[in-house]
Amino acid sequence: MYLNNLNPSVKALTILGLVVALALLFDPVTPALFTLVTIAVTFLFGDFRRKYYLFYLIPFTIFAVGMLWTTIAFADAPKNPSETVGLIWWEVPREDVLVAVSLSFRVLAFATMSLLFIFTTNMVEFLLSLMQQLRLPPKLAYGIMAGYRFLPMLTTEFRQIRAAHRVRGMGQESRWKRYRRFAVPLLAGAIRKAERTAVAMESKGFTGTRERTFYRNIRVRKKDWLFPAGMGAIFLLLILLSLRFDYFSWYQGQL
Amino acid sequence: MKNWKLKEIVVMSVLSVVFAVVYLAFLPVGKVLTGFFGPIGYDFIFGIWFIVSIIAAYIIRKPGAAFLSETIAATVEVLLGNAAGPMLLISGMIQGLGAESAFAMTGYRRYNLGTLMFSGMMAAVFSFVWGYFQSGYAALAGGYVLLMFVTRLISGAILAGVAGKALSDALAKTGVLSGFALGKEKRKKHAA
Amino acid sequence: MNIQNLSLQYDDMDAPVLQNVTFSLGEKECVLLLGASGSGKSTLSRCLTGIYPKELEGMMEGEVTFEGMPVNEASPGTMSRRVGTVFQDPETQFCMLTVEDEVAFGLENICVPSEKMEKRVETALEEVGLLHRKKAAVISLSGGEKQKLALACILAMEPPVIVLDEPTANLDPVATDEFIALLSSLKELKNITIFVIEHDLDPWIDITDRVLMLGRNGSLFYDGPLQQGVDRYARDLYEEGIAVPGAVRMAMETGTATPPYPLTARGLAAGLSAPLKAVSGRENGPALIQASGISYKSIFSNVDITISEGSFTAIAGPNGSGKTTLSRLLAGIDPVSSGRLTRPFPDKDWFQHAGYVFQNPEHQFLTDSVWEELAYSGAGDEKIEELLEWCGLTDRKDFHPFTLSQGEKRRLSVATMLVKDQEILFLDEPTFGQDAKSTSRLMDLLKEKHRAGTTIVMITHDMDLVDRYATGVVVMKDRKIGFTGNPDELWNEDLVAFQLKEPFRVRTNRLIKGDMYVPQ
Repeated sequence: MYLNNLNPSVKALTILGLVVALALLFDPVTPALFTLVTIAVTFLFGDFRRKYYLFYLIPFTIFAVGMLWTTIAFADAPKNPSETVGLIWWEVPREDVLVAVSLSFRVLAFATMSLLFIFTTNMVEFLLSLMQQLRLPPKLAYGIMAGYRFLPMLTTEFRQIRAAHRVRGMGQESRWKRYRRFAVPLLAGAIRKAERTAVAMESKGFTGTRERTFYRNIRVRKKDWLFPAGMGAIFLLLILLSLRFDYFSWYQGQL
Repeated sequence: MKNWKLKEIVVMSVLSVVFAVVYLAFLPVGKVLTGFFGPIGYDFIFGIWFIVSIIAAYIIRKPGAAFLSETIAATVEVLLGNAAGPMLLISGMIQGLGAESAFAMTGYRRYNLGTLMFSGMMAAVFSFVWGYFQSGYAALAGGYVLLMFVTRLISGAILAGVAGKALSDALAKTGVLSGFALGKEKRKKHAA
Repeated sequence: MNIQNLSLQYDDMDAPVLQNVTFSLGEKECVLLLGASGSGKSTLSRCLTGIYPKELEGMMEGEVTFEGMPVNEASPGTMSRRVGTVFQDPETQFCMLTVEDEVAFGLENICVPSEKMEKRVETALEEVGLLHRKKAAVISLSGGEKQKLALACILAMEPPVIVLDEPTANLDPVATDEFIALLSSLKELKNITIFVIEHDLDPWIDITDRVLMLGRNGSLFYDGPLQQGVDRYARDLYEEGIAVPGAVRMAMETGTATPPYPLTARGLAAGLSAPLKAVSGRENGPALIQASGISYKSIFSNVDITISEGSFTAIAGPNGSGKTTLSRLLAGIDPVSSGRLTRPFPDKDWFQHAGYVFQNPEHQFLTDSVWEELAYSGAGDEKIEELLEWCGLTDRKDFHPFTLSQGEKRRLSVATMLVKDQEILFLDEPTFGQDAKSTSRLMDLLKEKHRAGTTIVMITHDMDLVDRYATGVVVMKDRKIGFTGNPDELWNEDLVAFQLKEPFRVRTNRLIKGDMYVPQ
């Protein structure tokens, strides 16, 4: 699928650019439309387990709805308190609702773009691409890769330690003390393992220099530019739309 | 990157991964606090989110440790699925830069409690300035914003600086840091 | 390869780890270096591969040369093409996510052109029998497969010398034999020198050309053929923490043998007239813990099991068969999903009566010193002194638990579980990764407790331990109980199907009557 084969650096930079651009705007419509476009693009051009995507999207949506609610509840004194909207049984200032909706869709737009990247990108290819296209030092890239591998191992460790501590009879202590007792064996084990991993890498001839060949060469091809071009075009179109219908507005630090 | 040893990079990266998970775990705590106190809720525990910078810098003591560890932690958080997405990456980098700036000001020579607390406070300053523009504290009343700022400063100094040092020192006692700057310093003190 | 007068001392230690070590490795030789854990074996391997003195925090004297060239003058990149290392811990030698990427990693480091890589990756995986797992995630491999992958990574880089640092210490006996069989076939096939660092000699006897013995003081005390070395030092090996070959131990225990000692079961059997006897006293008392039809999540369902009072019950079986899950259910660490589990003490003070020793002792340590560790469990000063004496840690009482040796950590973790004179003790593979001496010290302690009436439930892969200590054994297979009964009955079962290795005594007895198997 197109998104999965897209050069990861191009993809990441495009998304970062769009996020920054989107962060400058503040209206309820543009981020809402952009969220829909992003989801559509992800589903049309991405190959991934649909179920998991929803599994991730749902909490984000709940978060966004929650934000909508609290923003309205905690809002500043509005400038035009007279203009109100009926929300089911609740009468609230129109301005507050607009701000809240804009904020919520902003969050959703950021989230869906981040999901687009996460669901269609292979972590290893991303790091390889960062090295090959963006000149990330191999020492850092492979160091991160080695550390990232520890994630599942740490989860198991964590469970082990929790059970082990329970047998020793914990619980009458303060929360902070308990955290410390957890953290020390977990981190000590992780650091020792990290050190061993580093030795193993060096014994395989890894020196961290840029002089190395790659088993998988990640390149930027012509078709990779379609993504930034396409997404940029859609974004511009949305802006033109907002100018045409006169709801365009810069972000001025609304909360 | 030249004067970094590979084991230092891997250890930094592992620390970042661990704390990325911790950071995610503290988000709901922040949310509960905001529920009770409004936007200032997050500021009480904001220091937690700077802690990896302080720990990595204190253990490894090389330029870049504070910045890189926070950046990696933010990246891992995004990959694990944080709703803030790419924006978080930028926040992470800015916090990291803040923490790093404190160590840079001491010329990467002093790593006492004062420096570490200062570093936590600098991270608070940077993140607050960024937050001011990005999340719109401008819309809030001036006094309230000041209160938020002071809370975050204290949180940075205590939760990142003091707690980060305590945790690293506890780790040093286990002997696993003997190959790192912190472990070596402890050994020298012990010998003296 | 030549090692001349090598001495080494770490900054944070008082005594040198290596003292005046001199030896050489010839082409195509398979040399076994024996030494206790903590005797400086791994340090030596780091000197051979040139990691030291570059990464060393300490002093190193002497010279290591490869074909006449000093190793420390070569760049790390070139050294990796000459000497490859397989490390002990299967979890920490990889940095990539998939099998093929991991093998390719080494090739990328030495700048093999991209187009030639695939072929070399595949050849190396084929040689270790992992080609079918080429695209698999490293994390999905079993421990034995991970060690084979580590070997493949080295083979792909084609170094003339391969160093193996306790490569089988974290593997079960069946995987160990498989790994060594693989090595010996590769040794025939390829032009490689193999240098193995070990504390357990038994599995390696057949492929070893020469042995070196490293003492606890860091100096070599023997360099030569295996037979003579064993004959001369059989009695010292135990003190040095090196496992005496099973045949030698048995021969010495029968008291009649004199050098030359037999090294293998076959050799031992040839000199015996009567079968070796099993330990006596395998009778079991009344039921203490009784489980009927217990299930846990989707891991297993409908398991019945009884642990008898005063028994020494071993739980065995291949990795992933549910041993740990079962013992955790019995010990009340995880709650059963359904079924009935009867325990002799009420739940609320259950852990006053039962202890559970986890596989990694560090997970259970909570404080900053050995003394506090015991005090935390609620022991008074007198009790602490007594326990420290019992597990031989009196002079370590102010140490941080993490800085103890493997054996000491294990004994401390057992001691913390006995503070309340618990009646039942569960142990999850307590002898894993321990050298011969600390294993036997630990087992002696457990035996003593067992004699005093403690019920012991221990997960283990080691059938020799089962044969020598257990009064009952439960074998798990595919998350079900495959066998339950007395060890002597187990030896009549099809052990291969359970992925277990016959204990040495039983194997010898079988050989006494020729190759015919005669049940007892």
